[in-house]
Amino acid sequence: MYRIDYTDLVGGLLLVALGAGVSLVAIQHYPLGTLQRMGPGMFPAILGVVLGGLGIMLALQALRRTGKRPDIRVFSPLFVLAGVASFALLITPAGLIPAIVSIVVISSLAELRIRPVSLALLCLALCLMAPLVFVVGLGLPIPLIRWPL
Amino acid sequence: MDFFSNIGLGFSVALSLTNIFYCFLGALLGTLVGVIPGLGVLAAISMLFPLTFHLEPTTALIMLAGIWYGTTYGGSTASILLNLPGTPANAVTCLDGYPMAKQGRGGVALFMTTVASFFGASFGIILLTLFTPIIAEYALQFGSAEYFALMLMGLVAASTISEGSAIKGLAMVVLGIIIGLVGMDTQSATVRFSFGILGLLEGVSLIALAMGVFGVAEIIMSVRRVKTADIDPESLKLKAIKPSRDEMRRSWFPMLRGSSMGSFFGTLPGTGPSIAAFLSYAIEKRISRTPERFGKGAIEGIMAPEAANNAADQTAFIPTLSLGVPGSATMALMLGVLMIHGVAPGPNLISSQPELFWGLIMSFWVGNLILLLLNIPLIGVWVRMLTIPYHILFPAVLAFICIGAFTSGFSPLNVWMVFAFGVLGYLMRIFHFPGAPLLLGFVLGPLMEEHFRRAMVLSRGDFMTFFERPISATIMALTGLVLIWGVVSAERSRKRQLLSEGEVDHTPEATDRPT
Repeated sequence: MYRIDYTDLVGGLLLVALGAGVSLVAIQHYPLGTLQRMGPGMFPAILGVVLGGLGIMLALQALRRTGKRPDIRVFSPLFVLAGVASFALLITPAGLIPAIVSIVVISSLAELRIRPVSLALLCLALCLMAPLVFVVGLGLPIPLIRWPL
Repeated sequence: MDFFSNIGLGFSVALSLTNIFYCFLGALLGTLVGVIPGLGVLAAISMLFPLTFHLEPTTALIMLAGIWYGTTYGGSTASILLNLPGTPANAVTCLDGYPMAKQGRGGVALFMTTVASFFGASFGIILLTLFTPIIAEYALQFGSAEYFALMLMGLVAASTISEGSAIKGLAMVVLGIIIGLVGMDTQSATVRFSFGILGLLEGVSLIALAMGVFGVAEIIMSVRRVKTADIDPESLKLKAIKPSRDEMRRSWFPMLRGSSMGSFFGTLPGTGPSIAAFLSYAIEKRISRTPERFGKGAIEGIMAPEAANNAADQTAFIPTLSLGVPGSATMALMLGVLMIHGVAPGPNLISSQPELFWGLIMSFWVGNLILLLLNIPLIGVWVRMLTIPYHILFPAVLAFICIGAFTSGFSPLNVWMVFAFGVLGYLMRIFHFPGAPLLLGFVLGPLMEEHFRRAMVLSRGDFMTFFERPISATIMALTGLVLIWGVVSAERSRKRQLLSEGEVDHTPEATDRPT
């Protein structure tokens, strides 16, 4: 337990920063127009202010109450997101199969345990199933494997 | 009779072989997803969303709708056997379903909830068939001011009525609208917030957003938390599922009351299946002559909520199809499917796309019948699904999410968007920002901006137009009431929560409409 609600305080301040950023970009880069003929900048500028306002309200509330420890984890997001990133990096240069293997292997590390046999079987199963569904079944033109040579 | 020829038309569409097949597929996948805790309906729909690109819009909607109501059927299984709701809408079913399973009557409970689900869904479909065309006809006289007011009400209701802080819900709606602004502005052709990335000209992909915020973030939160089940298969043999005559007799009225409650709350923005299920449970307990049996395996306690949540699943389509204003994140996805396929949602939908509208509604009968058949004889199979370990499930789901994102544009950019929204989704979980309002804001935002600007042009820049037109003014007044009520009740429930502060809740956050 904390004396004030740090989770909501930080969350509120983030919203303020985000709202301010959106409004500034909108005002500087896009014509605002008039209320009668609104330009493309008007709507985002208003939204940014509203978002910032809500952030201030949230942060003020957070000062008046106690808070719990936030539930922050390191490894689950790290490995899961790294898996997604590896897929994005590999899919065009290397093809579907290497991308599948890398996302499965990397993301499964999030369990903080390596099960070599079940992992290998899972990779094999997915590498058979995915081409069957997407390439054969739906007829999508995805290269299965590309040798980078 | 016009009405009957429409129904005939609907069945002729729904009963084509392709549509039956995809309806079956949707119902099957929905049940699967519903059964497995840690995989929500939004994640599932967005995961399978790219598959539907290559289908006709009607077929695509039939399949996605099948997933939506299929999860509610399947969700009760995990509630009853594991005391872990498969979807938030089935959370109340735990209260009496799990005690029944512990008494060895798990089979009876599973059988009866399937019956209740079918009953509730049928009730909802009938109302949907009768009322949607009437509402749509009435809505034809709506102008831009009315639409803006309606969408505003939908967003405010959806963000304030659900659990947690109303401020956070509203902030997420606004953020969703802002994300929806990215790309080319339709009226002035100015490119906004694209940061020089060419692929962002067309805007942020709805699929990537949904898969990141709901799929990836949910996996991050569930890894090493979802436990695999340990179930006694003996209590689930076909002969052990027959309810006693007394149980049958006591089920009728709860089902009827549950269906009516569910149908009502399904149509309102911001309420939906979860709240309908909770309220109908509360009512059954209140009017029962033996309230002490509740929580110890009372059959009424599973029949009413299961009828309610399924009825609400169906009636949620009423505002979506008649007005083009979705009341929940899932319905927003359905609307997104329509728009991606180039079908304009709104009151004209029924007259301009009768095959789509009637075909979809009649497919609900097909889908629910399929679910009835899938669930009763195959209960054992679904229960076995619960024993698939999560460490096998989540890498596979993740791989399918990425492949799906990639195929929705054949560009790694979409996968990077999933990545970015995965980060956003995880941050939102940490700060307890709800995801459903974000998605609703994203889908409704561009429509709202368009109607807002158009209304302003028509009124020559006078804001009062929203309060001078009678329908718009009524909706605006309702919106104000909802807002005040939402803020007050959130504050009150927070105080109550602080008073009875106990354990920290570690369940993964609800994906669709948190209860």
